[in-house]
Amino acid sequence: MKFQIEDVTVYFPYDHIYPEQHAYMVELKRALDAKGHCLLEMPTGTGKTIALLSLITSYALSKPSSLVKLLYCTRTVHEMEKTLAELKLLHRYQRLHLGDAARTLALGLSSRKNLCINPAVVSAENRDSVDAGCRKLTASWVRALAVENPNIPTCRFYEDYEKAASDAVLPPGVYTLQDLRAFGKEKGWCPYFLARHMVQFANVVVYSYQYLLDPKVAGIISKEMQRESVVVFDEAHNIDNVCIEALSVSVRRQTLEGATRNLNKMTQEIQRFKNTDAGRLRAEYNRLVDGLAQRGNLPIGDTWLSNPVLPDDILKQAVPGHIRKAESFVSLLRRLVQYLKGRLETENVEKEGPVAFVGSINAQVGIDQKTLRFCYDRLHSLMLTLEITDTDEFLHIQTICDFATLVGTYTRGFSIIIEPFDERMPHIPDPVLQLSCHDASLAIKPVFERFQSVVITSGTLSPIDLYPRLLNFNPVVSRSFTMSLTRDCICPMVLTRGSDQLPVSTKFDLRSDPGVERNYGRLLLEMVSVVPDGIVCFFVSYSYMDGIEIMQHKLVFIETQDVVETTLALDNYRKACDCGRGAVFFCCQRQAAQCVGRVIRSKADYGMMIFADK
Amino acid sequence: MADGQVVKRAKFKSSVKDPGVPGVLTMTREKCVFKPSDPSSAAKLNIEFKSIKGHKFTKEGSNKHALLNLTQDQGGNYIFEFNSFPDRDVCREFVATAIASSVEAGRTGSERSAVPLHNEQLSTAEMERRIKLLQEDSELQKLHKQFVIGDILSETEFWATRMKLLDDKASRKPKQRVGLKSDMIFNVKPSSDGQSNRVTFNLTPEIIHQIFAEKPAVRQAYLNFVPSKMTEKDFWTKYWRAEYLHSTKNIVAAAAEAAEDEELAVFLKQDDILVNEARRKIRRVDPTLDMEADEGDDYTHLPDHGLPRDGSKDVMDSQYEQYRRSFLQDLNRHAAVVLEGRAIDVELGDTRSVAEALARSKQVELANEASDGNANQERLDRISRMAEIEDLQAPRDHPVAPLSIKDPRDYFDSQQANALKTFGDTLAGTKQMTSDLSTSEAYGSLRESISEIKAVGLRAPIVKPEVALKVLNGLNQNISSTKYQIGKNAHESVLDRLPKITRDELLLHWTSIQELLKHFWSSYPITTTYLYTKVGKLKDAMSKIYPKLRDLKESQSDFRHQVSLLVQPMLQALDAAFAHYDADLQKRSAKSGERPNGFV
Repeated sequence: MKFQIEDVTVYFPYDHIYPEQHAYMVELKRALDAKGHCLLEMPTGTGKTIALLSLITSYALSKPSSLVKLLYCTRTVHEMEKTLAELKLLHRYQRLHLGDAARTLALGLSSRKNLCINPAVVSAENRDSVDAGCRKLTASWVRALAVENPNIPTCRFYEDYEKAASDAVLPPGVYTLQDLRAFGKEKGWCPYFLARHMVQFANVVVYSYQYLLDPKVAGIISKEMQRESVVVFDEAHNIDNVCIEALSVSVRRQTLEGATRNLNKMTQEIQRFKNTDAGRLRAEYNRLVDGLAQRGNLPIGDTWLSNPVLPDDILKQAVPGHIRKAESFVSLLRRLVQYLKGRLETENVEKEGPVAFVGSINAQVGIDQKTLRFCYDRLHSLMLTLEITDTDEFLHIQTICDFATLVGTYTRGFSIIIEPFDERMPHIPDPVLQLSCHDASLAIKPVFERFQSVVITSGTLSPIDLYPRLLNFNPVVSRSFTMSLTRDCICPMVLTRGSDQLPVSTKFDLRSDPGVERNYGRLLLEMVSVVPDGIVCFFVSYSYMDGIEIMQHKLVFIETQDVVETTLALDNYRKACDCGRGAVFFCCQRQAAQCVGRVIRSKADYGMMIFADK
Repeated sequence: MADGQVVKRAKFKSSVKDPGVPGVLTMTREKCVFKPSDPSSAAKLNIEFKSIKGHKFTKEGSNKHALLNLTQDQGGNYIFEFNSFPDRDVCREFVATAIASSVEAGRTGSERSAVPLHNEQLSTAEMERRIKLLQEDSELQKLHKQFVIGDILSETEFWATRMKLLDDKASRKPKQRVGLKSDMIFNVKPSSDGQSNRVTFNLTPEIIHQIFAEKPAVRQAYLNFVPSKMTEKDFWTKYWRAEYLHSTKNIVAAAAEAAEDEELAVFLKQDDILVNEARRKIRRVDPTLDMEADEGDDYTHLPDHGLPRDGSKDVMDSQYEQYRRSFLQDLNRHAAVVLEGRAIDVELGDTRSVAEALARSKQVELANEASDGNANQERLDRISRMAEIEDLQAPRDHPVAPLSIKDPRDYFDSQQANALKTFGDTLAGTKQMTSDLSTSEAYGSLRESISEIKAVGLRAPIVKPEVALKVLNGLNQNISSTKYQIGKNAHESVLDRLPKITRDELLLHWTSIQELLKHFWSSYPITTTYLYTKVGKLKDAMSKIYPKLRDLKESQSDFRHQVSLLVQPMLQALDAAFAHYDADLQKRSAKSGERPNGFV
């Protein structure tokens, strides 16, 4: 349907609208009009996403001269796909009413792992090996060599994409990752690089949080977004965690051992270049004297993860003299690794501020703060000079340099914690040195500053006034909407005692109590025998589960640490519920509010939540 | 005993407390007869052993009576008190053999004679089954009560037409393909004899099938190793050895054993076929729940970036990695296989053919996936369907609903109502239908279509789609309008509008008549006197119902019309039966003059 909110004609792809959706749109429009940030809470199952998409795209359509662009951030790729599916519906509806005037380009963006269509590359096991596999075929020096020597393999999708040059564009439409891959296959163009290129021209970009929040990724993906863009963080209840994680690094023994191996390899390479192509190293030295490590115009295939610190904090100065030479930089890194090794050898938990830590590094191995700050860029430059393409092998030294750059940049909002062992297994030494960020506002600050409207929304944002303080911003609108229910479709229950009147508890000391276990087991058994279709079970421990008996009533699926397996199990779980066989899905314990908050996806659903704990 | 007869003095007691009637008990192979000493006493008994289900007796003791209790299959029992225990024991033994032989005779008898003339002797199991059927089906119980207890049909006759219900196998025969059991049966615990360290595993064909279905590597190993490399027994011994090693969770020990024994290693290592299958499947999984894609996008969790979290500590030496396998994985795999369903049609039992069939079905699946381009489109459609918010959508009207008759009774009730309706306003209805077309118009259109066919030949569709639609609509409208007039919802029928008493009565008569007519018609041609008497009894019963039906018809004022429409066919059926009976009777009497007329 079509309706007016003040001066904006809203195109909404359904015949009816929930009252809270309308109220949500009104508030959102005010925030956009005020060119400010907003905080909106509305329960899951009220069609928040479509309300957001519908209002913002309609807003952009009503002001054709403005450059309103939507950057929609989701937590995960599967949420991205869901959002794009809804956007497709909306787009179809707008096309129906407006014709060509509604032409937009919307696309999802993800990693090479999720977009690559070169079978030789994408079959690699994880993201890092796919990234490295891609670089091996697309790095500028590899391609330069391939021109002379046709035996050197390249990626035909990348080559064809490059050949098409400015003709390689996506026609207007809505593209999910799958659509991008299909389009790439049809044209023979690399969908990953095409998508990255098209991001600047798209009206709507859907990607995950990190592409804006994590400086390492944002630095290469989201550099050139217009200020007029509207940024939406959906399901943002954990946004503070993402911010903190984006700026945190931990170092273990394995990291240090790997870093040492990396340094040995680099030393070899340096030696090789000295013998064969000494000019390269000298050219790098000169470039570093002139200014910056890699801020030049790198070919798109050579870009690597960007500097881990926030854009404003990156030093725009010449690299300090004593690390301009490749060997001296490598030997400096060796000293740093050695120092960290020594710090890991501790018996007690230690906590330190960055200033003290940097002071101690300077005193012991003679590396000052400014040099630390340049570690990342200097490493990147060296890797390019050494023409290293198997970047997945060099992640350890990269971690060390990220750590160095972060610790050398920030003096507050961070602490360094060294733990000698995992508290769950005190007898096994497993030391870890963490650089933890504890100020979520740091990572998100550039986003608030760069974009005129940032919308933070979720089903559960309570207490809502906590978020402006956590993230240090001033929203122009901050509202919570409640769900209007026309019937009782949810039924929360609290169960404190089992059928034998003994209390049930998930407290750690009662966890292995046989009586408690029996009560949970019986509760579950009774539930599976009466509940139709699906049950999702969040348990602190699998020991409660008596799989064998449950299986007489329902199929059993379990979340494991293997994502592939868990994904297949989830898919099967849904199939089992759809076909009527019924199933139980066991999940690891998560935040209770997040679990039960998602018991219904829409008002047509119904569900029951049982909290079994005294 | 020698002449197959026992005669003893005994007292007949109606209950244990009863002082009893003294008399003489005579037992032959077929029956036992009790004659009271006092000839005027009413306690004369003549019991056939066929009707005796079992016997009980008291234990021998000083202050106890020597009692023998014969239980009848209808529920009653006869208690006799003997003068001494030896006397009782003689009788007891005799009764036991007599009951056993009569049961046997009854059984063979019922098998041999197609139309048993007497009540067969039933086994307890058979009896229970009948009782259960009667309990489950109240309609059947009513009929049974009416005719069997009312002595119109014998027990045997009543059940003879319902052999199918009794036939255990037929009623339980699966009508659809059975899926896999939800239970994880192959996770059997070994049984131990408690003395040595030996453990025993029991393998059934079902278990083997499950193992092969869930562990393709084991299946493949079986096809590779048995019988060329090892015997089947050795194969399974190795398999269980591997399972045992897994259950100890000692990965290092498992790796060590695997290093020495390459066949054992096959069972201990990760199932490569499964890993490949998972990789293939993940590409076809619904992207809206693909968590693997999330991981592929997650730059926060570059190794050692972000905050350490649970589980990331499970770093293990890569040489042992391949021996890791968890029970949780097995659970997921099991459920996935069950969900896929039983893919093979091979009789379980021959292990090799089961393995081969499973391997084949996998290949077929692979080929199908490769060729199935539509799956992708379907997945996309599904996602966009899932993305829609249903209750915000305007109600969708389906212009064409597929015909799906779930409950035939419902359908035919509505048809009947339809018939009623047209019957009711025949004139109006037909007029309405024909008024659109005059004769000449109809003729013209017919001619037109004939010449058209002549010109173009017969081409599909023969009937113009619009015409077909019109006819179909006309018919359907009629159905739906009667439905609408007669019942508000789909489950109501004409009967539901009648008062409950009338309806119940009607239904009862209807089923009774059905039952009687079934027996009546199946008795012809009459070849024995048994059938002759049976037909007579049936006819009497029917003629008793006849006036009731007529009364029913008369008594209704509000629904007279509808009730009479319902009753009419019943009356007609009865009339036909009576007519046949009379005709047959006349034929008989004409043929054999010696038979008197007065049978009716």
